[in-house]
Amino acid sequence: MLRTDEILSTIEMLHAEHLDVRAVTLALNVEDCAAPSVDLVCRKLRNKILSRASRLVEVCERVGCKYGIPVVNKRLAISPVSTLLAGHGHAAAVQVARALDEAAAACGVDFVGGFTALVHKGTSAADAVVMNSLPEVLSHTRQVCASINVASRKAGINMDAVRQMGEIVLRVAQATADRRGFGCAKLVIFANIPEDNPFMAGAYMGAGEPEATVNIGVSGPGVVCNALKRRIQRERNLTLGDLAEEIKITSFRVTRVGELIGREVAAELGVAFGIVDLSLAPTPMVGDSVGEILKTLGIEKIGAPGSTAAVAMLNDAVKKGGLFASSSVGGLSGAFIPVSEDAALADAVRQGHLVLEKLEAMTSVCSVGLDMIAIPGDTPAETIAALIADEMAIGVINDKTTAVRIIPVPGAKAGDFVDFGGLFGSTPVMEVRNAGASAAFVRFGGRIPAPLQSLGN
Amino acid sequence: MMARFDNVYVLDVMSDDHPGIVAAVTTAVESLGGNIDACSQTVLGGYFTLIMIVSTPQPVDPERLAEQVRKAGTGGSEFQVLARRADRCEGYKPPEKCDRFVITAFGKDQPGIVRRFSQYLAGKDINIVDLYGDRKGDEFVLIGQLEIPSRWDIRMLQTDLEQMGQELGFTVKLQHENVFVATNQLRLPTAGG
Repeated sequence: MLRTDEILSTIEMLHAEHLDVRAVTLALNVEDCAAPSVDLVCRKLRNKILSRASRLVEVCERVGCKYGIPVVNKRLAISPVSTLLAGHGHAAAVQVARALDEAAAACGVDFVGGFTALVHKGTSAADAVVMNSLPEVLSHTRQVCASINVASRKAGINMDAVRQMGEIVLRVAQATADRRGFGCAKLVIFANIPEDNPFMAGAYMGAGEPEATVNIGVSGPGVVCNALKRRIQRERNLTLGDLAEEIKITSFRVTRVGELIGREVAAELGVAFGIVDLSLAPTPMVGDSVGEILKTLGIEKIGAPGSTAAVAMLNDAVKKGGLFASSSVGGLSGAFIPVSEDAALADAVRQGHLVLEKLEAMTSVCSVGLDMIAIPGDTPAETIAALIADEMAIGVINDKTTAVRIIPVPGAKAGDFVDFGGLFGSTPVMEVRNAGASAAFVRFGGRIPAPLQSLGN
Repeated sequence: MMARFDNVYVLDVMSDDHPGIVAAVTTAVESLGGNIDACSQTVLGGYFTLIMIVSTPQPVDPERLAEQVRKAGTGGSEFQVLARRADRCEGYKPPEKCDRFVITAFGKDQPGIVRRFSQYLAGKDINIVDLYGDRKGDEFVLIGQLEIPSRWDIRMLQTDLEQMGQELGFTVKLQHENVFVATNQLRLPTAGG
């Protein structure tokens, strides 16, 4: 028999603190949709997606209802689209993207990820088609999300691809200038991209995965924050060790909710259950913020000295709690610090407490990188590439996933305010200092070699 | 629960709560040669209540068993005791496949809350296996652990209960018990269980 206090504490977590399952992502292998004719590729893609995913939304809603936990986002991820575009050209890439968009809309999902190319060691002809089509694809589709892996621990950093992505990010922003460069919010540039990430815009189905699998992104920054606040209010003389323990316990409970829902959705859909991603993913809603957790941990101004240590402790405690809760942990699994999507972080930028360099330092100890950052629209392509290179270096050297989702807002200057709407949030445009001063470094191109695997200091 | 002896009784004891009640009751039971096969106690609002399944090798008049326990009253308070033969110890078994859910309701206290919800549940053949209610300030919280026949559509029940909650100014949730097991216990329940 359940104890009353157990029921009450779960109810508090679910309803008063708005715990939800952030994303249920159905990943599908679509390599068998390859065909010589692009019309046939599109038809096979549509048929496969509809046959495997048309019940996803309904099943998520029914299972969510049974447990009283909303599943906020239902998504699809496919094998890298580059595998379907080998031998095809630019027009085919755009046509396939439109077909994906239509299939996703027909299933009622929020996004479809997997407009992806893996170019960490070099760029194939199909990868180049994917990359060059991004401005048109991301401006002419609503639900298609793209990711490009330009670096890995084993290959190093493909600086030619990094340089190219600096230019492409600018072109995507310009192609969606009427939406303040919003196309860039659907494009992530990765180092060490995970094969099983359920979170957008970087979800795709990687190599070594089964035919179809359900991956779950839990969330709950609000739950962690409230657990910390309650503990601090109740007890005196707490140490950071005590607070880390509280985060760990809360993360255990949050992860369990994700696994429970994920396993049942997978069983109902008749596909394999993949992983639970432990990431703390904020939303622009007040009280659903990783920045708020840092403030609760005593960092009065986010970006002040101590911010990196605080986020490192948070990230580590979340993983420890989640790993004990589930044997199927994967994806990104860390605390996200996406500026526009986190009200407290966006506010820290507005007040001048948080600058790009400090944010970058924080990303070296958490997930997932420079995420949802607006920068001036006139930032040079080489500087964007250099920002990407810095973040990739953090990932490659530290053997972790890092990413860049950066929006050079056309016509905007540092300090201007941009609103992307909904879950994408709003943020001031951040200043990029020393713009243009690393162009020569980027222009060298080539590949930054893979790092040492030993002498790890 | 398997009774040790053939003559099985259910014994119910109520008293003001104080130390020594269980010791006194069990001493009285033992004096009649009885064995305690199962027991459960709870304390609510300062009142102690104990239910026991007792078995004896020889038949005992249930009133004699009750009287023996009454006489054992300690701490200056009387025990109110009820004893009767336990004809069936298996308890209620739902006649159809059921799933375990938890209902929680929170809101401003008023007479009739438990009645309204329990009447609705009874009308749907839903068995309440555990019930907790507590008034704090003006607020009342009600938690019931339920066995719900699988023939019901949970969304329909949720809608009915939420509507009833709205009429009473209560927030009502009906959730499968596994979410509470998953978030509080070390072992994860199996999917769909």
